[in-house]
Amino acid sequence: METSDGESLGVATSTTSDEFDAVVGYLEDIIMDDDFQLIQRNFLEKHYQEFDDSEENKLIYTDIFNEYISLVEKYIEEKLLDRIRGFDMVAFTVSLQQHKDEVPGDIFDLLLTFTDFLAFKEMFLEYRAEKEGRSLDLSSALVVTKLNH
Amino acid sequence: MGLLTILKKMREKERELRLLVLGLDNAGKTTLLKRLNGEDVGGTSPTLGFNIKTLEHRGFQLHVWDVGGQSSLRSYWRNYFESTDGLVWVVDSSDHERLRLCARELRALLREERLAGASLLVFANKQDLPGALPAADIRQALELDSIRSHRWRLQGCSAFTGRDLLPGLDWLLDDIGARLCPID
Repeated sequence: METSDGESLGVATSTTSDEFDAVVGYLEDIIMDDDFQLIQRNFLEKHYQEFDDSEENKLIYTDIFNEYISLVEKYIEEKLLDRIRGFDMVAFTVSLQQHKDEVPGDIFDLLLTFTDFLAFKEMFLEYRAEKEGRSLDLSSALVVTKLNH
Repeated sequence: MGLLTILKKMREKERELRLLVLGLDNAGKTTLLKRLNGEDVGGTSPTLGFNIKTLEHRGFQLHVWDVGGQSSLRSYWRNYFESTDGLVWVVDSSDHERLRLCARELRALLREERLAGASLLVFANKQDLPGALPAADIRQALELDSIRSHRWRLQGCSAFTGRDLLPGLDWLLDDIGARLCPID
């Protein structure tokens, strides 16, 4: 029973199916947590003024995007470490690839949205529109004066 | 590689490809992108950042990235290499003076490890202009025949008129397709 299919790869993973399921369950809690929303909000607040609603993207968006991905990854890893003593992200990602077909779709779709650049840009444009008290569609038709200025 | 990057690679669909369009400034990269996307190509101005379009062609979903080519921007190209299936190098065939620079920049790209697996399509663009060098001259100037590191194809074209863009793109998809799913 204990024969891990990871052995053939020569990888020392001790992640059993139960442990794997547990981590996946925690992942969901972590992403849904208010703490995470706060982290996201702070990140948006810090960078939103860089983002303009034009088709061409500024080079700096890429830096901000990469910063965002590593922020999210670091956050997830830290929170998993809080919950599971001795959690090993590298081992987990290895077993993730081995359990490829058993991974519940919804949670991973959610995680994947963090890696989509266009969704990322859209999130910033929406945040900016909201901050400036306008909706995106009306922006070109209205003269907008910033209040916090 | 972090968790999210690994997940992304796991979920990448077979018929989803990433193409990176590079070349010197004024080569016609953005015009090419717009033309492929069926947009109006008039009034295209120099790209200072980058553009992304997702196109559907022959059942492939193509994520095409076009990054500005001015000299001050070229050092940023590296930020866009990751996961590139096809590199599209666009040449202004009427820009005789900068052909050597163009050849040098291409050579530098071909040495990049993260582009090592990409197929290379060279567009000898602006064939509609009277002063344009024919594709054969571009082939010589860029010393394409000495390339051993990548599978490549040269295609004369005009992004402005749309002439001969598709044969180039079709070769690129065939070449990448043969590499990714050999059974097809």
